[in-house]
Amino acid sequence: MADYDDIPTLKENIDRATVDSVRSLDVDKYKYGFETDIESDMAPKGLSEDTVRFISAKKNEPQWMLDWRLEAYARWLTMTEPNWAKVHYPKIDLQDMYFYAAPKSTPAPTSLDEVDPELLKMYDKLGIPLKEREILAGVERPKVAVDAVMDSVSVVTTFREELSKVGIIFCSISEAIREYPELVQKYLASVVPVSDNYYATLNCAVFTDGSFVYIPKGVRCPMELSTYFRINEKKTGQFERTLIIAEADSYVSYLEGCTAPMRDENQLHAAVVELVALENAEIKYSTVQNWYPGDKDGKGGIYNFVTKRGDCRGDNSKISWTQVETGSAITWKYPSCILRGDGSRGEFYSIAISNGYQQVDSGTKMIHLGKNTSSRIIAKGIAAGFSDNTYRGQVSAHAKAKNARNFTQCDSLLIGDKCGAHTVPYIESRNGTAVFEHEATTSKISDDQMFYCAQRGLDEEEAVALIVNGFVRDVLQHLPMEFMVETQKLISISLEGSVG
Amino acid sequence: MALTVPVRLGTAENTLIEQLNSVGAAAEAERITVAGLPTRRVESYHYTDLKMLLKAIPPLAQAANEASAPALRIAGAYQLMIANGVVQAASTAPAGVIVGKTAGGVLSTRDDVLVHLNGALAKESLTLTLENSVDPVIQIDRRIEGEAAHAADSVKIFVADGASAVILETFSGSDAAHVGNHGTYMALGKNAVVTHVTVDLSSRSAAHFASNEYHLADGAKLRTLVIHAGAGLSRTQVFPRYEGAGAHGDITGLNLVSDGQHADITMDALHAVPGTTSQPLFKSIARGRGKSVVQGKLVVARDAQKTDAKFMHQGLMLSDEAEILSKPELEIYADDVVCGHGSTCGKLDEDSMFYLESRGIPTAEAETMLVRGFLEELVDPIEDEALAEALHGIIDGWLLAGK
Amino acid sequence: MTTPILEIRNLHARIEDREILKGVNLIIPPGEVHAVMGRNGSGKSTLSYVLAGKEDYEITDGEVLLDGENLLDMEPHERAAAGLFLAFQYPIEIPGVATMTFLKAAINSQRKARGEGELSTPDFMRAVKTAGTELNIDTDMLKRPLNVGFSGGEKKRAEVLQMALLQPKMCILDETDSGLDIDALQVVSKGVNALRNGNRSMLVITHYQRLLNHIVPDVVHVFSDGRIVESGDKDLALQLEAKGYADFDGAAA
Repeated sequence: MADYDDIPTLKENIDRATVDSVRSLDVDKYKYGFETDIESDMAPKGLSEDTVRFISAKKNEPQWMLDWRLEAYARWLTMTEPNWAKVHYPKIDLQDMYFYAAPKSTPAPTSLDEVDPELLKMYDKLGIPLKEREILAGVERPKVAVDAVMDSVSVVTTFREELSKVGIIFCSISEAIREYPELVQKYLASVVPVSDNYYATLNCAVFTDGSFVYIPKGVRCPMELSTYFRINEKKTGQFERTLIIAEADSYVSYLEGCTAPMRDENQLHAAVVELVALENAEIKYSTVQNWYPGDKDGKGGIYNFVTKRGDCRGDNSKISWTQVETGSAITWKYPSCILRGDGSRGEFYSIAISNGYQQVDSGTKMIHLGKNTSSRIIAKGIAAGFSDNTYRGQVSAHAKAKNARNFTQCDSLLIGDKCGAHTVPYIESRNGTAVFEHEATTSKISDDQMFYCAQRGLDEEEAVALIVNGFVRDVLQHLPMEFMVETQKLISISLEGSVG
Repeated sequence: MALTVPVRLGTAENTLIEQLNSVGAAAEAERITVAGLPTRRVESYHYTDLKMLLKAIPPLAQAANEASAPALRIAGAYQLMIANGVVQAASTAPAGVIVGKTAGGVLSTRDDVLVHLNGALAKESLTLTLENSVDPVIQIDRRIEGEAAHAADSVKIFVADGASAVILETFSGSDAAHVGNHGTYMALGKNAVVTHVTVDLSSRSAAHFASNEYHLADGAKLRTLVIHAGAGLSRTQVFPRYEGAGAHGDITGLNLVSDGQHADITMDALHAVPGTTSQPLFKSIARGRGKSVVQGKLVVARDAQKTDAKFMHQGLMLSDEAEILSKPELEIYADDVVCGHGSTCGKLDEDSMFYLESRGIPTAEAETMLVRGFLEELVDPIEDEALAEALHGIIDGWLLAGK
Repeated sequence: MTTPILEIRNLHARIEDREILKGVNLIIPPGEVHAVMGRNGSGKSTLSYVLAGKEDYEITDGEVLLDGENLLDMEPHERAAAGLFLAFQYPIEIPGVATMTFLKAAINSQRKARGEGELSTPDFMRAVKTAGTELNIDTDMLKRPLNVGFSGGEKKRAEVLQMALLQPKMCILDETDSGLDIDALQVVSKGVNALRNGNRSMLVITHYQRLLNHIVPDVVHVFSDGRIVESGDKDLALQLEAKGYADFDGAAA
C-alpha cells in the first residue's frame, strides 16, 4: 500500500482508527464481489404491462401511482435508446431480466431486531453501519443516517426518529408514496420529466425503491443522510428512484454508495435522482459508485444508465454534485443543475476512473436560466487498461440569464497506451453578458514523477496511486470526510494492474 | 423494439434528390432519401441544423455569362478563377506552377453530407501542382454568378517537398440566393510550407459551404485562416491530417457575424503518427442576433505518441442577443501526449475599456481598437503584406458596417 | 485666488453596498504635488478610480472640480481630454494593439476633443522619441502590444511616457513605486519630476515613504477609513514611516 502519511492534508482531519481500518481492508480486485444467500421474492422474468402492475401491487401503491406508471410504460414503448454517448454494448434483452426482487423477510421490519441477520451481516461486510447503537457508541465518528436498499426494496432506514424531531422525513420512496402522497405528487418527475429519456421513462414505469428526503423550511439537517444500494440477485435490474426536497433556507448533505456481486452477466441499473432546492436552500449530493465493473476480460459488470438532475428552483439556492465513479462496465451519467432561481449556483465535482474494459461517458449539464447564476465544473478522468473515458458536459446560458458565469476545468490522465480519454463539452452562450471559461488538458504520469517516487522507495502501483490521488485532489476535498479515505483506497484498487 | 421512423423530406431535400439523380449520383440520392439533411441529432451538425436552415435549393448552376467585380484583389497575385463550377482559362502561370483540370471532385470520402454532395456535383476540378517555392500569392477566385444557383466546385493542390506558397481563396458572386459547395484538397510534401487563406465574401442571401482537406507529410508546416464575412449561412469544414513526423498545423479561423447570420467553422483534425503538433485558434465575434458556431475536434490515433496539440476558441459578444456556441473535442488514444483545449466567451473586457477611455479615447473607438487587437493574433502571422492588409480591410469593413 | 487644478468636496462613494470614500476634501492648487498616504484598504486607490471615472463606483455625495469644471459629469475619456491623467497601479495589458498605435490614438482623440488638429506622423514620432529617450524606452518596446509581457519597470515607464506625451493638467500616480527596484524607481521618478511645472499638479498615492524621497511633495495627506485625517508638509511622511498609521486611526471621527 502507498504510504498516505505523505499526504498530510488528507490525514490531518481523519482519526487514526479510520485510517488504520481502511489500511487493513482486504485488497481484493473487487472487494464487494460476494453474494449473500437470502431468500428472495421475485417478479416473473421480462417486461410487460403486467410487470408494472405486479411491482405496483407489491408496493401496495395507490391507484394514481399505478396509472402514472402505466402511462410512462406506454410512453416508453414509443421511445428508442440514445446512441450519442461514446459507449458500445450488445443489445440489452429486457425480457431476460427480473424487474423486481425483494429479500423475503416480510412483513417490513419495524426495528433492526426484525431485520434478517444475513442481511445485516451483508451490510456489515460492506462496512455500512446499520446498527444505531454501534454508531452511537463510536465516539469520534459523525452520525450518518442510512437507508439500505437491496435489489428492489429498502430494507432499513436508520435514525428516522431523531430526524423526525426536526421535521425531516427520511424514508424509502415506497413508503413516501403511501404516507406523503401530496409531496410525492407535487415533486415526482418535476425535475426529470416522465418522457425525459429512454432510461428515465423506463425507470418511471418500473422503479422499485429508493430514498425520499424532505427537509422543512429553515432546517439544517443535523447529520449526513445516506443510501447504500446493493444489487444482489442474478439477472436483476435495479431501478431506483430518489427524490430530495429542500424547502427554503434548509440544508442537507446526502451520500450514496453502490455495490454489486461479481457475475459474468451484465446487469442493468437505471436510476433517476431528482433534487429540488427552494429559496436559499442547499443540497450537497455525493456518490461513490462502485458497481461491479466486470472482470479483467470485460466480462460481466453493471450497465449504469442514470439520470440525475437538480433544480435550483428558488433564488440563491445551491446544488452541488460530487461523484466518484470507479465501478460499472458502462457508465452513462450526467448529474445536472437547472439554475432557475436568480443568483442560484450549481457545482459538479467528478472523479471518473476506468480500467480493464470499462466505458465511462459522464459529465454534467449546467443550464443557466436565472439572472446572476453561476456554475463550476471540475472533472478528473483517469483512463487505464483498455478502457474509454469520456467527459461530456453542457454549459448553456439562456437569453434571460444575465451575468451568467461558468468555470470549467476538465483534466484527463492516461495510464498506458491502450486506453482512450475524450472530452466533449458543449458551450452555449446565448447572452452577451455571460462569461464562460472552459479549459481541458490531457496528460500522462511523467517518467520524472515515477522515477522520483521509485527513488523514494515506492513501487510502480504505489507511485501511480499516489500521483493519481494528487491529480484528483481538487475533487476529493469536496467529499464528506467519511468518503474521502474510502475513495483514496478505492482509487488504488481500481487502478490495480494498470501498470507494468 | 426501436421503430425506424421514416425521415420526412422537405423541399430542399427533394430538390437535392432530383439534382443528384439528374447527374447519375443514385447512391448519394438514396443517402439523402434515407437520412435526410443532418439535424442537431447528428453530432457534427449539432449547432448547424441543415434541415432547419436550408429551406430551398436553387437549380444546378449553368455556365456563367457575366462576372461581378472581384471581391478582393491582391496586388501582384497570380489569379485563377472558377465560375459556376467551371474552371476558367488562366493566364501564364508563374515559374514552378502547373495548372490543369480533371473531371469530378477531389475530397476523400467521409461520412458527411457536404462532402458527399461536393463529390457528386462537382463536374471538374482545378488542379495546381507547385513544384517549388512560388513567390506571388496564388489567388483562386471562386464565384457563383447570375440567377440563384446551386454550384459545386473543387480544387486539388499538390505542394512538392520543400516548396512553399501562399494561397488565397475567395468566394463571392452575384447578389442572389446561391448555395455554394466548395471542396479543396491539399497535399503538402515533406517540409513544404503553406499558408492557405479562405475568405467568404458572398452575399447575405447566399449559403456558403466549404470543405478543406489537408494531408501533411514529414515536417510540413501549414497555416490556414478561414474568414466568414459574407453569406447569411456559412460553414467551413477543415480536415487536417498530420501524416508525417514533425508536421505542424496552425489552423485558424474567424466568424464575423451580424444580425441574422449563422457562421460555422468545424475542424476535425487527425494526428495520425507520432511527433506531430498543432495549434488551432479560432475566434468568434457576434453582434445583433448573429450566431457563431465553432467546433474543433482533435483526434490522436492509438500510436501517435508525443502529439502536442492545443485548441483554443475565444468568443466576443458585442450584443446581448448574439449567440456563440462552441464544442471543442478531444479524442485521445495515445498516452504520451500533451493535448488540451480552451474555450472562453464574454464581452469586451471592462478594465481594458476603462484604461483606453482614461487615456481620452472615446468609447466607440476604444471598442474598435480592442476588437482589432483581439483579432491581431490571426492576421499578424500572415507574412505577405498585401494579403494581411486586405484581411485587415475586411475586418475593418465589418466593424464599420456595425457602427 | 487662482482656481485650484483639483478641488474635491465631501466626496462619498461606494461599491455595491460598501461605502469606501466617506467625505474626502482636498484642494490642489496649480503646480503643487500632493501625496496621499494610507494603509492598504484605506480607500486611496478607490479615490484614483473615482476621479478617473471607473464605472464600478457609485458617487453618493460631494463634487469634484477639475480646473473649475465639474469632473463627475464627464465620461472617462472626456476627463482625460480635460487634462486628468491616471498612472495605473496595474497597467492593463491589451493584446494585439501595438503601443505606438495606442499612443497615437490617445493623443489624437484628446486633441480632437479639444478642437485641435491631429498631430502629423513625423511630429508624433519626434515627440515619442524624445520622451522615450528620457525614460529608456526604445522603439522596439513601442512596437510590442501595449503592456503585454512588459516587466514591472517597463509598465511603469510606459505609464510615465504616456503622461509626458499627453501633457495633462492633473496627474494621479497610483502606487507608482509598487513592483519597482531602486534603479527603475529612479528612472520613473526622474521622468515624473521632469514634468513638474507651475501649471501642472500631481496627486501621488503611495503606501511607502520611499517614493517621496524621489518625488518630493509639497503637501502630505494621511488617508484612513475613506477620508483624509491629517495633512502636513513632507515631514509628515517621515513621521508616518517611523510611527506607522495606528496613531491616525479614527483621528477624524
